[in-house]
Amino acid sequence: MVGQEQELSSVVEGDELVEADDDLDDEVDDDEVDDNEVDENEDTDEDGDDDLSSLEEEGEIAADYIEGLLDIADLDGDIDMDVEGDRAVVSVVGATLDELVGDDGEVLEALQELTRLAVHRKTGSRARLMLDVGGFRARRRLELTELGRTVASEVAQTGEPKTLRAMSPFERKIIHDAVALAGLRSESEGEEPNRRVVVFPAG
Amino acid sequence: MLEEALEHLVRGIVGHPDDVRVVSRMLRRGNVLEVRVHPDDLGKVIGRGGRTARALRTVVGSLAGNRHVRIDLLETGEVR
Repeated sequence: MVGQEQELSSVVEGDELVEADDDLDDEVDDDEVDDNEVDENEDTDEDGDDDLSSLEEEGEIAADYIEGLLDIADLDGDIDMDVEGDRAVVSVVGATLDELVGDDGEVLEALQELTRLAVHRKTGSRARLMLDVGGFRARRRLELTELGRTVASEVAQTGEPKTLRAMSPFERKIIHDAVALAGLRSESEGEEPNRRVVVFPAG
Repeated sequence: MLEEALEHLVRGIVGHPDDVRVVSRMLRRGNVLEVRVHPDDLGKVIGRGGRTARALRTVVGSLAGNRHVRIDLLETGEVR
């Protein structure tokens, strides 16, 4: 094991210091918008090959990538592959996988991003694969759907908009969906990582 | 283990996986994981706005027990 400094590190690119910049957060959010658009227009995928076999291929590449990491890190986990709608889902199931999730799912998001890049390298097309570890996403989705429903009914009663706590793009998407299902309107406001969903009364 | 994990993560996402080298170096201010990749792959491992580099750091940092890990990304043969 290696001793690390207790400070945010930076990436050295040649002589240039590339630091996390303010625009990064906007880009993350732009991507979320892109993701949603792709969700709604699945047939416009550049390759149009989101058939079952290519989703299964995505899942297999992702599973290999994750399995390699589990082996190296000496973590026990079983990998399940599934297709949910038009998306490959790879789930790692195991007892001690907190390191791959993080306190608030931030490690899981990072790992999913890397896994999507790994799939992209092999298939050449942009992957929308979802990675779950230890049931984190499934559990979080249930909680947030319930929260969205509760807040929607509260806003419907009071007629006053309500702002929720800061959430990740994944979390906000679930809230938006739950609010829409309840017949109300919601928007995201603010900048990452303090972007929050605001729920508005109908009409 | 961290070097090996980082090497695996980087190899999976670059066009020239055989060129990927990770070494742990002791610098004056602490340890650094130094990743060298093919020049064509440097942009890929940094990502838009440093996004991929940040994801690598997040995952490896967590495997290191949430200590901040310094990761330097360099081209093969680049002198620092």
